[in-house]
Amino acid sequence: MNATSEYSAKRKVTLVQAKADGAARRDATEAPGDRIVQACWSCQGPVAVGEPFCPSCKAVQPPGQADHFQRLGLPRGFEIDTAALEKSYFQMQRLLHPDRFATRTPKEKTLSQQQATSLNDAYETLKDPLARAAYLANLMGRDVLKEDGNGPVDPMILMEAMEMREALAEAETAEDVATVTKRAQGEIADCESELSDAFAADDLDQAAALITRLKYLRKLADDTRARRAELRGRG
Amino acid sequence: MAYSEKVIDHYEKPRNVGTLDKNDTSVGTGLVGAPACGDVMKLQIKVSEDGIIEDAKFKTFGCGSAIASSSLITEWVKGKTIEEAGSIKNTQIAEELALPPVKIHCSVLAEDAIKAAISDYKTKKGA
Repeated sequence: MNATSEYSAKRKVTLVQAKADGAARRDATEAPGDRIVQACWSCQGPVAVGEPFCPSCKAVQPPGQADHFQRLGLPRGFEIDTAALEKSYFQMQRLLHPDRFATRTPKEKTLSQQQATSLNDAYETLKDPLARAAYLANLMGRDVLKEDGNGPVDPMILMEAMEMREALAEAETAEDVATVTKRAQGEIADCESELSDAFAADDLDQAAALITRLKYLRKLADDTRARRAELRGRG
Repeated sequence: MAYSEKVIDHYEKPRNVGTLDKNDTSVGTGLVGAPACGDVMKLQIKVSEDGIIEDAKFKTFGCGSAIASSSLITEWVKGKTIEEAGSIKNTQIAEELALPPVKIHCSVLAEDAIKAAISDYKTKKGA
């Protein structure tokens, strides 16, 4: 058994187990109509959306419309098994490595590169709590961090952001900065845990507010690092 | 991306940075934000009895364009009536600072901020 078929065999087992877990879990974590099947471009056999390889002829497939969760074989939700995410990512990355396609047709080379790019996107998005939350909200129909969106923000979030940024701007010593950093990290942890509750309760309004708050907190945390470097440079 | 000279000038020498007493009934405060960038902008105006903006201050934590937009608008609104200040359009700011399309939303933020400050002032007066 080569690595590819061994991999898809494992994956099949995961899918079967996920189905066996029952309807309750399935409702909350899986997209409706998730077992969409397409025809393999090479052998016309059935391929489930998100599968990188045809289970029949092993040909690499186009990335297609799979969402990031499907692509990495994870249930859709804010809480994810990070060990499973890492494992799935590195396993698939290995299977899509350009060396494996060195002797293949140009079409397969192109497809494997597209697969690798989509895989990286999926991994980068899902491993970061803020990116994952924003992506999940997007899948649920809410574009919280719209590029050109100055939309109304909860005044409490803005007041907190202004207050903490001012505290950072006034920080004159490494200790002052450390105090702000510690507070930011604490708020980030709280915010992520509240996000988890909001998604678990399917409360999209609450999740959207928390995503915005988390975005501001993360920006603050970035700035505390910059400020620390600045103070170090001066001293 | 290259900033225009006017943006750099306002960024390096921002006008009217500071805070007015938000509890003063003649002061209106506008606090707005752009979630996509994590920017936050506070703009305050002090209005005389006859409706003229005597002073304006801002504090912006964000990119150069957001800082320049708020700095410029505080210069513009001083000496104007609140009606005149409220009719300033973001396009005027964007044009003056030669903002590129991806930074137009920073000028929108400044327009939103002055409108929010005027509205806060009116609410206080009405109360």
